[in-house]
Amino acid sequence: MPITAGTDAALFVISLGAGLLGALGGVGGGLIIVPVLTVGMGFDIHLAAGASIVSVIATSSGAAVAYLREGWANIRVGMLLQVATVAGAIVGALVTSEVPTQLLLLILGAVLLLSGGMQLLRLSEEPGAGPVGGRDRWRLSGRYFSIRLQREVDYTPIAVVPGFVVMIVAGIISGLLGIGSGALKVLAMDGLMRLPMKVSSATSNFMIGVTAAASVGIYLARGYVDARLTVPVTLGILVGAVVGARLLPRLTNQHVRIIFIPVLLIIAIEVLLRGLGINV
Amino acid sequence: MSGQPADERLERGLSLVLVVGVIISAALIAAGFAASFAVGWTGSLLGQATSAPPTTDFSALLPRLVALQPLAISQLGLLALVLTPFVRVAASLLAFAFERDWLYVAISTAVLVLLLLSLIALR
Repeated sequence: MPITAGTDAALFVISLGAGLLGALGGVGGGLIIVPVLTVGMGFDIHLAAGASIVSVIATSSGAAVAYLREGWANIRVGMLLQVATVAGAIVGALVTSEVPTQLLLLILGAVLLLSGGMQLLRLSEEPGAGPVGGRDRWRLSGRYFSIRLQREVDYTPIAVVPGFVVMIVAGIISGLLGIGSGALKVLAMDGLMRLPMKVSSATSNFMIGVTAAASVGIYLARGYVDARLTVPVTLGILVGAVVGARLLPRLTNQHVRIIFIPVLLIIAIEVLLRGLGINV
Repeated sequence: MSGQPADERLERGLSLVLVVGVIISAALIAAGFAASFAVGWTGSLLGQATSAPPTTDFSALLPRLVALQPLAISQLGLLALVLTPFVRVAASLLAFAFERDWLYVAISTAVLVLLLLSLIALR
């Protein structure tokens, strides 16, 4: 799709919506904008991925403002697992041009479904953290303030190796599609490694920007980062994410889910159908 | 260990690096975007003639920046944005070295080497 002067403003507004929806729904704007640009607007999937991955860096780094105040991220967990996500992202970005577009769309649809499903399942505030006082070979244990318990809670992650393996997959998907793969990262950290949810969300967010940076070098070299597309998309998603983060505390979780889950499901179904070669 | 004061300071310092990086780069990207509505993406705010490379081409920025070409201003912002995670990992590495946490100095170095490879060597 050629970009004309009128589409600059339209792309900005559409991306703002994607960033807002992503922030309210607890997923990255990238996961929304890639299907909108490809299935909705007919852009090449690699150009959409190139625009998205830059916006992912912006929102991940920008969200550090919130964690600056709250301090939940575990830097050691993030750094160790980043070895996996960065290596995976490099592989994903290198092979994405060889993967058929329909297969990329099927993977994207699957990630959308997983993310939507996880939003539905994450009703409990703080799933139990792993056992404390066990062997901590990688020195990953930490402490955070639990709002529910009103005290500091110690935690030590378990299953570091399985978590590392899932992170390689998260990295590959991020490199293939230009998305943050936050859902997979959180799945590994709070599902497998039993980190407290707040810690895994904050750490995942911190890792997403670094993972995305690993793909960007390769995307730039291959001409997937088109400034005409990337500039309005990145600005729109960033503004949408900032506004969304401000609105979020005023909305209860139930409201957010009612708005968000059906939208995500509809997008997922559209993307999966397109991946199967069915045009609706 | 995580959660203790040294780590908290580290975390706050690193977050600050990211926030400042994002604000500066977003300002540049937005300035270029706004200017593009006035003089077009490959025009010049100074009214000079500028080259119009493909918008996927981020090379030869300097002469286009000197002419205040909107495309070049936004491209500089995009590059600055992309570099913020590199700064963050490098800052973590220094902070771990300062704490004499050699295991995490090695792990941060591995991440940084992979990042630099992706930027420079891999195509």
